[in-house]
Parts: sequence; structure tokens; C-alpha cells
Amino acid sequence: MEFRPILSAMLRNKTGAILVGLQIALTLAVVANAVFIIMQRVEKIGRPPGIDSDNLFFVQSYGFGPNYDQRDTIRRDLDLIRALPGVVSASSINGIPLSGGGSATNLGPTTQREKQTVNTNYYTVDERGMESLGLKLVEGRNFTQTEIEFNPDPAGGQFGNFAIITRDTARAIFGDEHAVGKRVYQGADDSAVVIGVMENMLGAWVGWDKLTQVMLIPRIQAGPLARYVVRTEPGRRDALMAEVEQKLSGSNPNRAISYVRSHTQIKERSYRADSRMVAFLSVLIALMISVTALGIVGLASFLVSVRRKQIGTRRAVGARRADIIRYFMLENWLLTTGGVLAGTILAFAFGQWLSSAYSLPRLPPLYVVAGVVVLWILGQLAAFLPARRAAAIPPAIATRTV
Amino acid sequence: MLAYYFRIALKSLRRNPMLTALMIGAIAVGVGVCITTLTVYRLMSGNPMEARNDVLYSVTLDSWDPNKPWTDDHPELPPPELTYRDAQALYASDIPDRKVMMRKAAFVIEAPPKSGVAPFLVEGRTTTKDFFGMFNVPFKYGGGWDQAADDASQQVVVLTKKTNDKAFGGADSVGQTVRLDGHDYKVVGVLDEWAPTPKFYDLNNGAFDEIEELFVPFGIGEQYEMQSAGNTNCWRDQQIDNFQDFLNSDCVWIQFWVELKGSQKVAAFQEFIDNFVREQKALGRYERPLNNHLRHPDEWLKVNEAVQDDNRVLVGLSFTFLAVCLLNMIGLLLAKFLGAAPLVGLRRALGASKSAIFGQHLVEVGVIGLGGGLLGILLAALGLWGVRNLYENYDELTRLDIPMLLTAIGIAVLSGLLAGFYPTWRVCRVQPAAYLKTQ
Repeated sequence: MEFRPILSAMLRNKTGAILVGLQIALTLAVVANAVFIIMQRVEKIGRPPGIDSDNLFFVQSYGFGPNYDQRDTIRRDLDLIRALPGVVSASSINGIPLSGGGSATNLGPTTQREKQTVNTNYYTVDERGMESLGLKLVEGRNFTQTEIEFNPDPAGGQFGNFAIITRDTARAIFGDEHAVGKRVYQGADDSAVVIGVMENMLGAWVGWDKLTQVMLIPRIQAGPLARYVVRTEPGRRDALMAEVEQKLSGSNPNRAISYVRSHTQIKERSYRADSRMVAFLSVLIALMISVTALGIVGLASFLVSVRRKQIGTRRAVGARRADIIRYFMLENWLLTTGGVLAGTILAFAFGQWLSSAYSLPRLPPLYVVAGVVVLWILGQLAAFLPARRAAAIPPAIATRTV
Repeated sequence: MLAYYFRIALKSLRRNPMLTALMIGAIAVGVGVCITTLTVYRLMSGNPMEARNDVLYSVTLDSWDPNKPWTDDHPELPPPELTYRDAQALYASDIPDRKVMMRKAAFVIEAPPKSGVAPFLVEGRTTTKDFFGMFNVPFKYGGGWDQAADDASQQVVVLTKKTNDKAFGGADSVGQTVRLDGHDYKVVGVLDEWAPTPKFYDLNNGAFDEIEELFVPFGIGEQYEMQSAGNTNCWRDQQIDNFQDFLNSDCVWIQFWVELKGSQKVAAFQEFIDNFVREQKALGRYERPLNNHLRHPDEWLKVNEAVQDDNRVLVGLSFTFLAVCLLNMIGLLLAKFLGAAPLVGLRRALGASKSAIFGQHLVEVGVIGLGGGLLGILLAALGLWGVRNLYENYDELTRLDIPMLLTAIGIAVLSGLLAGFYPTWRVCRVQPAAYLKTQ
């Protein structure tokens, strides 16, 4: 089979070929970039949170009225929650990981302010905090009950004497040195000894690039807001959420219980922008590929219909059905190849624009290569039906006038 | 004449239903996708204060850490909020026509015991009296409070419609008492539906959150030592032992807006805040270069990047998709029109003018465009239904309105004509002789 006759036939119907070629080019450009964005988001959503997300829920208590006592309320509430069957552990906590709200501070290895630049999310927990969140300690030890201090001032930013930090925080502050036993500083007067290093924990803001820099402090915050993290046995979470809400509401008239949410719910909400983007882009890709495939089918069908006589003649002078099919498939392959060549340039240009305008990472060539292969296959599949119809044209048609 | 063209257009479309369906479908999905993303984009990028854009200004001062800008991505930006004492100092100025300082705070509402409603937690806002007037906040019952209420931190409250529905069953509660955090407050007003999107007046605490559920005078927060329920950001290494220390600290957590009518007032107020910062510099604060800004709401939304990049990328991709759909349609139309070229040749030979042929085909294209547009609107409605499932609380906002419907039809017909122009032009160049010979 020669390319030359196919090419010259295509040149005679330039417009149709160019139109479909352009469609293929644009499709490649959009699909390669969209799939790349989707993969980034899927990876972001799938990051291990470090905590036992599936079996956790959070409760918020807000005290009001003159008889409200924060310390006493927290002690009683935790006693009540921990005694419930199905509860693995519970702790007070000042914020909710991956919720979009939290506290952060700058830490450093010395008292010098300029060196305190490691932005770190912090959570105040009690001695059961590690267990209640389902965190994994890799070095050092956990807090003890006597180390938990009560912070009477709600606005105070000072932290206590001890801290457990994530491995990433340790690396950011101390480099390759051992962190356990060293002090981390927040300003000149404020410091804590690192007593433990945990494997991994994600902080509050899912879009934050320092999300893995997290610190736990042994402390109970002053009121009127109190939060609890409750870890349950697998499968018991939803039932316990209702039970805890009801029991706590009834136990103390000086506060209101609210925001009883599973961590799955909270996480889903925080990643909503990303999952939305994934959904949008997936639909767009599916539509785009379908429209382009239909475009290829349309052009090929048109070409078959105007060449009926020519095909009949070829068949009459000895071309087999397979030759006819091969002709159309090859023609389509040439068309697709032209399209993807232009599309490759477009895809990188598009990727360049996205990365400069929206500070996204550069488009890796692999996505374009994969896109080219997919479009080649798509083109061949789309051309096959019309080609088969062409092959079915009887040789006798050559003898008719119209 | 047009009716006749229309009739033959329909006839021609019916002759090849598969192809017609493909063309209408292509335009419809293209338009549907574009309208869906455009609606979301418009919702996210709207300026809810458009009507008052030229007189309102957010006020920001650069009180941040001399070693480090507020945000590394945009080192030129000051923090979006003020410290408590700076807000108080600016509020004392009488240059602005109106001014407001405010912040978030949580409250527990106790409904009357006989109602049987358990105490519930709400997000509130402590603010000054001009909040309602400056931002054109709609009232259902009553109104805001006056200067005297601000001065004396009177226990008055404005409820949102939602809160009033919950605590008073939607009745006119003005003059009634509601118990907040164990204290009695008099209801002075109830808001009507109000959902500024984005929530321009406090972008730092959830730009797409709903408005707070009740409003009380700003001084209440200090009187009852209420913690901020919004983001509080501190940088200076300061000893904070009690609430007063916190109020005096360099933590930023207060939103501040002014209304200035006329450029003279704008200049005067800019001068005033700059002088204020210079005085503070002499006292050892404000170690960063002078960087104070008065920004209109539209600029404010822009510098705070209220519109997510995602939405912009999606609109771009959607229009690229529409382009693919149009290319597709051009190809199909071309195939169809040229396929019918012998007929056109015959008609031309029988005396049809080129312009008549052109008109007939253009009408056919217009019909496809219109059909695609209408179907596209249906698809957009479907798309937005999907969006509503992905978002929460956006029911009101992700609905197609009249301008969007007109845009949809406009895009459809325009793109239909655009796509149809070339094939129509091509078919008009048909030489009657070429086709008559073979017949």
C-alpha cells in the first residue's frame, strides 16, 4: 500500500481533513492536561492522613451561663465518652485535622527569631491524644498524665514544656539530627522539649504545602469551647456519634453540643473543591473524546459515500475487501498522526500556560505520549465501521452511472 | 420567503435525521458544558457590592513581621485584617461618611423554655451600626441599632431570617428578648434573605460561607471577653496572660471597612491612616515599609483571590471543548451540504440566485443552532443539577437566570452561524453545469 495516493486523495478534500485534524489536536491538548490535573488531585485526596480517619469523629461543646466550668466539663465528658462500649479512646483537642481551620506557629531550633521559620500546625491533646487519633510513634515516648497542663487563657499562644512532632517537622527544624531530647523554640521565651517523633500526620489546611508539619502539645485549652476526638471500633462510629451527642447534651445544662461529625465527612468537605474538579474534568474528557470520535466517524462515512463509485471500480479491477478496509484505516491513521503532531505542540503550549498562569507543575511528556496512543487507537476504532461499510460496496456499482 | 426557507430547512434536516441529531447534539453539549462552567464561574467571581463599589473601601495596614511578609506568594500584600487597637484608632476618625469594624464570635442561643428548643450554638458577628446601611443589608422586620447602642454596648441583636425562623418560628420578633450566652438581648431587627457571594466583607474566614447568624454591637465582645471565632494571626513574641493583653497585642483579627464619598475624602483618609502608621513607627511598631491600602470591593476580591483558579481553568477548557464541537459541526455540515450539491446545482440551473441558496442554507444552520441552544440549556440545567450535588448550600445560586439563558441561546446561535458560514459559502460556489452534465 502506498501513501502517495492516499495523501493526494486527502489533499483533494483538504477542508474535511483539516477540520478533523484540528479536532484531534485540540482533544489531545485538553485531554493530556486534564488527565494530568486529575492525577494530581487524586494523589492529593489519597494522601495518607496519618490518623485513623475512618473510625474517628469529633464533638464540639460550647459553654455558656455563669456555672460553666471548662476543666470539670472536659473531665466529666471524657469519662462519660471513654466508658461507652465501642469507644477505643477519646481525647480533648483544640482543632480538627484536615478541616480547614486550625492553629499554626513558627518554630526553630534556637532562640534566634530569624531561624524560627518552620511553620507548624499544632494540636493540643491529652495523654490519650496519640491513641485517640490513631497516630504512630516512631521515636521517643508519649505524653504522661502529669504532663498535661491546663491553659487558663483562651487567647494565649504559649505552649507547654513538651512536644511530639512529625518526622517531616523534625527534618525541617533539625535536618538529619535526632530530634528527641532537643528543644523547639517559638520566640525567645517559649520552648518545648521534643519527647517523641510520630511517623506522619496531616494538619488543618488541605491546600497548604506544609501540611505534614504538625506538632502535638500536652494541654487543655480554656473555654468556653471544648472539642473532643473519639476513636471507635470499626463499624461502631455512626451509632456512637448519635449516642455521644445525646448523652453529652443531657449531662450538662450549661453548654450546647454541636458539630458532631465523622472525620470522613469533614475530610470529604475539605477535599470537595478537588473532587469537584476531578468530576468536572472527567465528564469533559469523556464528552470531548466522544465528540471527536463521532467527528472521525462522520468524516469517514462522508468519504465512503462520495467514493462509492471509485471503490466499486477498485473492487472490479481486483482489490480485495481487506484492501479497501486497509485503505481507509491507513487514511485515518495518517489523519490522526497529523492531528496528534499538531496536538503535541498545542498540549505543551497549553501546559506551559497553565503552569505559568496558575502555578501548576509542568506537564510531563508521558501524558502526551499516552494521549497520542489513545487517540491513534480511538481513530482506528472510529474509522473501522465506515471502512467496513466501504468494503461491502459491490464491484457491480462501477458499471452503474449514478 | 423566510417561512419558505424555514420549511425547506426542516425538510432538509428531516432527510438525514442521524446527521441532524449529531449536529444538534454537538452544539448542545458544547453549549451545555460552557454554560455550566460559566454559571459557576460567574457565581464565584461576582461582586455582590457592585452597586456600591465606588464608595466602599476595605482598609488594610501592614503591621506584620519585619522579617517576613504576610504571605510569601504575594510579599506586597499587607494582612487582610487589623489589630484591635489599630481598628479602634481608625474608628475614631470622622473623615469617612460611614465606617465599620467587626469580627466573628460564637453564641449559644437559648430559646424561651416553653418553645422546647434546646440551646444551640450559632456563629455571630460583633459589628458597629453602619454595617447594615453600608452594605445594603435587607431587613424583613425592624432595622439596625443606633450610635447610642454602640457607645454603651447595649444588648441588642439583629437576627438573620434563618435564626428568627428557628427561635421564633418566623414571627416578627422585634421587641422580644432572646437569651445569648446567658444574657438577655433585645431583638431590634430581622434580616431578609441575604447571601453575598463571595462573602466580600470577611474573605479571610471562608469566602463562600454563609453570613453569620446574628449581629450584636462590637463592644459586646470586649464586655464579655469573647474569643474570636474567626482566624486570628499573631507574629510578635508577646506575653498574653489575659483578654486585655490579647486586645493590646499585635495579633490581627478585625475587619475594617469605610465609605468615602468623593476623591478628597479618599485622599484625606489615606493621609490619615498613613500618618497614623508613621506615629506608630515612632513608637516602635510597624517596622515594615509603609504599605496601607484602601481597596474597592472588586479590587479586594481580586487581591484576595476569591475566585479559585480551578474555575478559570474550567471555563477555558469548556470553551476549547466548544471549539471542538464546532469543528465537528463544520465537518458534518460540509459533508451534508456538499452531498446535496447536485440538488443545489439543479436549483441554480432552474433559476435560484446565489443569495437565495445562501439564505436557505443559513436558515437551516440557524435552525440547528437554535435547536442546539435549547437542548444545550437543558443539558446545562442537568449539569448544574450535578454541580448542586457536588456543592452544599448552593441551591439558590447555581440556578440558570435570564441573563444566563440569553447567553446560552446567544452562544448557540452565534456558534451555529459561525460554524455554518463556511459550508454555506462553499455550497453557494457550486457550478450548476458540473452537476447537470452527469445527470
